[in-house]
Amino acid sequence: MSPGPRIRVVFLFFVATASLLLGASTFAHAVLLESSPALKSSIPGPDVPLRLRFNVRIDAARSRLTLVDPDGSLQTLEISRKDPPNTISAEARGLLPGVYRLRWQVLASDGHITRGEIPFTVVKP
Amino acid sequence: MARLLQIFGFLSVVLRGASLTFQSLTVGGVIFLLLVLRGSGRDFEHIKDSCLGWIRRFALALIAMQTSYLVANAFILMQSAEMGLADIIGANFVLAGALGLGACFAVVALSSAGRASSHRGFLLPVAAIIASSVLTSHAMARLEHRLPLVFVTALHQLATAAWLGGLPFLLIAVRRGSSPEFGRQLSARFSRLALMSVAVLASAGLILSFSYVGSLSAIYGTSYGAMVATKAILFGLLLFLGALNFQLVRHGETSFILASLKRFGEAEIGVGVTVILAAASLTSLPPAVDLPQDRVSGPEIYARMTPRPPRLSSPAKKDLPEEVYAAQKRAFEMGSLSTESFVPGQSGTRPNTPAEKAWSEYNHHWAGIIVLSVGFLALLAQTGKSSWARNWPLLFLGLSVFLFLRSDPEVWPLGPNSFWVTFADPEVLLHRVFAALVVALAVFEWRVQTGRVASANIRLVFPMLIAASGALLLTHSHSLGNVKEEVLAELSHIPLAILAVMAGWSRWLELRLPAENQTRAWLTRLWPVCISLIGILLLNYREM
Repeated sequence: MSPGPRIRVVFLFFVATASLLLGASTFAHAVLLESSPALKSSIPGPDVPLRLRFNVRIDAARSRLTLVDPDGSLQTLEISRKDPPNTISAEARGLLPGVYRLRWQVLASDGHITRGEIPFTVVKP
Repeated sequence: MARLLQIFGFLSVVLRGASLTFQSLTVGGVIFLLLVLRGSGRDFEHIKDSCLGWIRRFALALIAMQTSYLVANAFILMQSAEMGLADIIGANFVLAGALGLGACFAVVALSSAGRASSHRGFLLPVAAIIASSVLTSHAMARLEHRLPLVFVTALHQLATAAWLGGLPFLLIAVRRGSSPEFGRQLSARFSRLALMSVAVLASAGLILSFSYVGSLSAIYGTSYGAMVATKAILFGLLLFLGALNFQLVRHGETSFILASLKRFGEAEIGVGVTVILAAASLTSLPPAVDLPQDRVSGPEIYARMTPRPPRLSSPAKKDLPEEVYAAQKRAFEMGSLSTESFVPGQSGTRPNTPAEKAWSEYNHHWAGIIVLSVGFLALLAQTGKSSWARNWPLLFLGLSVFLFLRSDPEVWPLGPNSFWVTFADPEVLLHRVFAALVVALAVFEWRVQTGRVASANIRLVFPMLIAASGALLLTHSHSLGNVKEEVLAELSHIPLAILAVMAGWSRWLELRLPAENQTRAWLTRLWPVCISLIGILLLNYREM
């Protein structure tokens, strides 16, 4: 093998190996900075405003908020279109006292989704 | 389906790294063509043809990577986020990807048109390639100073491409030039371009670091800060290699200057690709300024890093949390072993138990003993007085078996999770890939050291694998939520990674530099010293 192809083979091998190894990193693009209600907090019902603020701009139109009721049933919440670019909000109405979980899923500008869950308790007003 | 999603998720990150590398090469090739290959004559025309061919190949590779990335990511969103194709098509990353693809096709078309056409036509598509990359960067997602950050990010990527992406083209040009003087002339031009790029790169890097890291304490207190510092150190290594090149071009003897230049260029490309990959992994970390809580403090680092005797006895397997491993097995079978996002105040990652930490420390300390022995024997073999010491690479076989058996006790053969979990959990996969690399390293280098192979190619396997291992460590287990333990682990891995990169490329240069180059003398000693230092650092690795 002449020196030319040899270098190319070795170089491409390195690129391929290193690219493979790069796969180790998890993808973390939007990080939740604060939420209302806060994690494991109690909030008076029956109407509960929900608000999540992230560290970066997010694609609200392609993000999702789902509420898991105490009985395990799911309801998809309508996300407001009037929030700042790093925030999503919605309002859950008519909630009875109990433990709920707010499931969030947001799409960041790089095309990756992140998701999480915020358990909170609704109490009598 | 869930398992397929995990594979696609893993793949999309791999493709992102490859895209950034090919982006630098494509853009770097065009900049080289426009700024360095200025001139006419047979030599120039011949080299321009060759460079156009490589620009075309790198652009095609970028097309392949971008397309695969878009398809993989769209698939992930459709399956996991229940989004329709119409929804996905309007998403920012698709629009950015489409822009990049269009630009790449334009580069392919222009490079196929040959040298008859004006190369200035490349400017627009190259700008579009950079724009498509910046559109999905941290800068675009920021709330404050968005436009200046976008501009600085674009400059940063452009300077990276001009310097590191242009280097392979310099090597091609020097090799194909008909006279040493021609090669020297091109090298001098490229040196000026590289110097300018370095200045832009450093300035832009400083601005971005200031914006995304924000404080000195975030440099050592967060994963993002630590990775930025690593990039800066590797950048320093690149500058050192660049300075050696620069000296050669200015004052070296023409007889061996070009041969040396090519070899230093190869090492620069290698370290450069490592920096690009580290940069790509940074894009997957939240900026340090966004994570003010849970940072690691100076006293905590001091307490963790203070030298203590190594742990040479292992905790029993029954002390490990086997019920947790069994739960993991069930979760995997249900297809829910995916990475969850971190919610402040909530434990995003299960903290290791004391027995698991002791298990891991024991692993690292025995690995340290083996690696330190390797470094010591390699130095001893160089004295020529103990021929048996040349068998030092065989020690790596023991290391590989040890790592394979013990690095992930929850996975086969020691744990309840099957072998296939290896491919679903990136951390386990890394350990397994690493163990396989170590076997390859042992076999190839033992054959080299004991004179069983004369092939120059085989001799290069050892430095390549050592350098690749360094890159592996740099991209090792990034935490999503700045968990202190993850940051401390990362701080232990970073010096190991840098030493591995140094060991790999110094051995490479020792093998490749012409005999007349006096730098070889100290490079010969440098790589075993780096390996020994890796061993010493491993011996003091702590998780508690």
